[in-house]
Amino acid sequence: MKLGRRAFLQFAAGAVGGSLLSPIPWQLLDDSAIWSQNWSWRPSPERGEITKTATTCMLCDGGCGIQARLVNKNRAILLEGNPKHPVNQGGICPLGAAGLQFFYASYRVRQPLKQTKRRGDPSGFQFIGWDEAIKDLNSKLAQLKSQGKAQTIACLTGQRRSSMDALWQQFLASYGSPNFFRMPSQEDSLELAASLTVGQKVPFAFALEKASYVLSFGANLIEGWGAPGRMQGAYRLWRQENSGEAPTRVVQVDSHCSLSAAKADQWIGIVPGSRAALALGIAHVMVKENLYDREFVKNSVFGFEDWTDSQGKTRMGFKRLVLSTEYAPEEVTKRTGVEAPRIRELAKEFAGHGNAVVVWGTPQGHMPVNIYHDLTFVALNALKGNLNSDGMVTLVPEVPLEPLPDLQMDAAAKHNLEQQRLDLLQPQRAPLTGNAVYAFLDMVAKGGSYPVNVLMVHEANPAYSLPENKVFQAALEKVGYLVSFSSYMDETAQQADLILPNHMPLERWDDAIGLPGTPYAYYALASPILKPQFGTKHTGDVILALAKGLGETVNTALPWNDYQTFLQKRVKGLAASRKGAVAEREGVEPWKLQQGELVEANYKDGDDLWKKLKSGFCWYDGPVGAMQNLQTSSGKLELGLNGLQARGLVGAADQIYLPHFASLPPAGDEKEYPLLLISCQTMNLSSQYLPNPPFMTKTLWDFVLKGKDLFVELNPLTAQSLGLEEGSSALLKTHQGEVPVRVHLYSGARPGVVYIAEGLGHTTYDQYIQNKGINANSIIEVQMDPVTGLGTNWTTRAQLRRA
Amino acid sequence: MKEENKSASGKDVMGGVIFFAGFILALIVGWVVFPNLLYSQKTQPMDFSHASHQDSSCEDCHAFRPDGTFAGIPTTEKCKECHESAMGNTEDERKLIEDFIQKDLEIPWRNYSWQPDNVFFSHAPHKAKGVECVQCHRDVSKEKTLPVYKENRITGYSRETMKMIVCEKCHAERGVNNECGLCHK
Repeated sequence: MKLGRRAFLQFAAGAVGGSLLSPIPWQLLDDSAIWSQNWSWRPSPERGEITKTATTCMLCDGGCGIQARLVNKNRAILLEGNPKHPVNQGGICPLGAAGLQFFYASYRVRQPLKQTKRRGDPSGFQFIGWDEAIKDLNSKLAQLKSQGKAQTIACLTGQRRSSMDALWQQFLASYGSPNFFRMPSQEDSLELAASLTVGQKVPFAFALEKASYVLSFGANLIEGWGAPGRMQGAYRLWRQENSGEAPTRVVQVDSHCSLSAAKADQWIGIVPGSRAALALGIAHVMVKENLYDREFVKNSVFGFEDWTDSQGKTRMGFKRLVLSTEYAPEEVTKRTGVEAPRIRELAKEFAGHGNAVVVWGTPQGHMPVNIYHDLTFVALNALKGNLNSDGMVTLVPEVPLEPLPDLQMDAAAKHNLEQQRLDLLQPQRAPLTGNAVYAFLDMVAKGGSYPVNVLMVHEANPAYSLPENKVFQAALEKVGYLVSFSSYMDETAQQADLILPNHMPLERWDDAIGLPGTPYAYYALASPILKPQFGTKHTGDVILALAKGLGETVNTALPWNDYQTFLQKRVKGLAASRKGAVAEREGVEPWKLQQGELVEANYKDGDDLWKKLKSGFCWYDGPVGAMQNLQTSSGKLELGLNGLQARGLVGAADQIYLPHFASLPPAGDEKEYPLLLISCQTMNLSSQYLPNPPFMTKTLWDFVLKGKDLFVELNPLTAQSLGLEEGSSALLKTHQGEVPVRVHLYSGARPGVVYIAEGLGHTTYDQYIQNKGINANSIIEVQMDPVTGLGTNWTTRAQLRRA
Repeated sequence: MKEENKSASGKDVMGGVIFFAGFILALIVGWVVFPNLLYSQKTQPMDFSHASHQDSSCEDCHAFRPDGTFAGIPTTEKCKECHESAMGNTEDERKLIEDFIQKDLEIPWRNYSWQPDNVFFSHAPHKAKGVECVQCHRDVSKEKTLPVYKENRITGYSRETMKMIVCEKCHAERGVNNECGLCHK
């Protein structure tokens, strides 16, 4: 029998028919669908027992309670807000929600690295063991100490609200170095303003939960001002409808329609840098029309009326200053661009609301403010009587933790400690002493009185995140040995001679002491949610190990075996004070506490308190009034700045001893650089120590970042005058440098001003963030405040031209 | 003409036979050969006799966690409660003790009922509604040895993995919601 083509087709038709009645096609279809779910790159969480561990988020200073969801107690799959926690009440910010991406990030430093080639060469890093690493650093430090050069070591930390801060200070002081610095913060100038007005170097706090009217002079209330989790909660309260109560009114004064401005009830667009002038214009109306708290001002404020200084000279008072024509609404209009009737209206609204409060900040969110402007906003709150015993403005309360042992320094250490801090050895020293990072770096770069042989950078990435980061680079060239304690291979770690990687925050013991800008006392522990993944070591343990090898005096100053024991000791001290209570129940509202209100302790002893704090609960206590422990020479709140004169600020003009408008002009020629450049903090871009995690980068609009292109915001009118359109490529130039950008037109941008987002332009980390956009800190400049010696940044002169 | 007709009808018959042969062959391949090709046969890391554990109830080992999720196959910790030292003298018990309990390792059991990741399934509501274990799982009460594990070469899941139609049928019969999002969240 011969089977031809016809027979073959008949056979094939039969086979097809048969196949259709068999499982082959249907099973394969189904199986291939399931197979497609098993591709190796498709994320699939491990299966098993799900547990939750509560702790405190240490990704910023906000002190939010979080809980981690774990599978089989060994894989973390989610971070969420802890609903029982009074600070964030279940809320979480984008950074916290994406926090696990730092835990599992590819850019973690897995064990100590030593640079064997030229500094900054990534191929030169070699793994070394911990014993060897600590021994190396120890011998270096011991050698410097024996040579009488202990003052030449310095520390720069980014973790200011934790016991690590105290541990670093204790270590440096007992070793004999005064050079301890923190990364800049708005709190740096706030605490100096408090030291001048109320005599205590503690930052101010604002009872925002109670506010019925919030007048925000550029404070990024939504983008991360103060404690972000707490601010989410405050905003929720403001927007909550309560019968018989008018909702809280929020007025945002800003040159730019930021997210905070867009969400406010009213946005007052203003000329950049003129907010303090507007505040003084409002003060003018309040004083002129008797809208201020006369009783408080009369009884508790020094320098409102004309006053006599310590040399017996009569000085102008704040009242005479604000009533001068310079601050009359019509004059203020010329400076601020805000119409005079609007200024009067704002003054009346502010004065008329029972719980009205003034808050302030900068678009960058983390830089100190010109001290006179800080003082101006304090003065406006004082006119409202907000610093009164039941007022809206208090001081961030101290937490009565166990103090560290007294220092028993040897003669050499004492001598070195008395050698002044490098920033204070500047030829033109500022009258106030603060956290003057820029002055310090400047002295290092210039080769001041003595060099910095070892610089230790902890939880900070100044090479990237310090505005005008060239200052750090210049200093680094003169630093003998750079030690980074970073958990990640960041821009600073990459330039280090030695990296001693810290555990990342979810793997380590930590604590949060107080909340920025928050009136109630707060303390919380962060306990590890999982064992450390790699061969990292807690920096606290490294310091304690170093102390052991540096002789008796350093060792006795730091007597603990490990960092956890040190924290336990601190908590024991807190328990011994019998103050405050643990928020163990849901619904605790510490912001409702009044000044002086007694909170009954609900813990037995130190061990009990430790146990409770370890479970993710926080400790809280009532607020401390700004006038409660006044330590000024007049015994009053000082608007006549006696303290400035006492600290050596000499001048003929009366206004230098008063809060006033004192702009720090940006460098550069206005003709060459006709525009102003302002860098801005945004909600979905992490711009400080931590890089933007991939989840957050995913949420960036394509008019902020598209591919690798960064967009700057520009008013359509300005764009038109420059011949630019939406999406145009342009070159942005300041005297710091020139970078390529693209243009996004936004009518919420002030004409003549270019707005650039912070947090992009990293040169390290992973494919999701590396080389995307431009680092704003590389083109903006810092203006030094001559009174505080702190670096501030409000604008930079710039030009923009079509590329 | 007659010849031609005959020849044509002969061809038709022949064609039918060829068609049928293809049809039957495909059915045989589809129903007999294909399943054997599709599944590889794997053995469990050790044998286990459910019959020997008749003194325990199912829930003693296959328990619900306090949060209501089903723990599935017990952990070594559970085995250890009784088998920390040998109770009998079988090779499998020796393996259990020496290879897993003493080394504190989990037994890498192959799960006969593992549902793919795109399926959300919770035992708790089924138990609450009185669905018996054996309605979905094989009755293991008299089982002295574990059945061969047939692994789908494409998907990697067991042949016993319950298919959607079984879920849907039972839901439909009981008037329970059959909406997609119920299981495919």
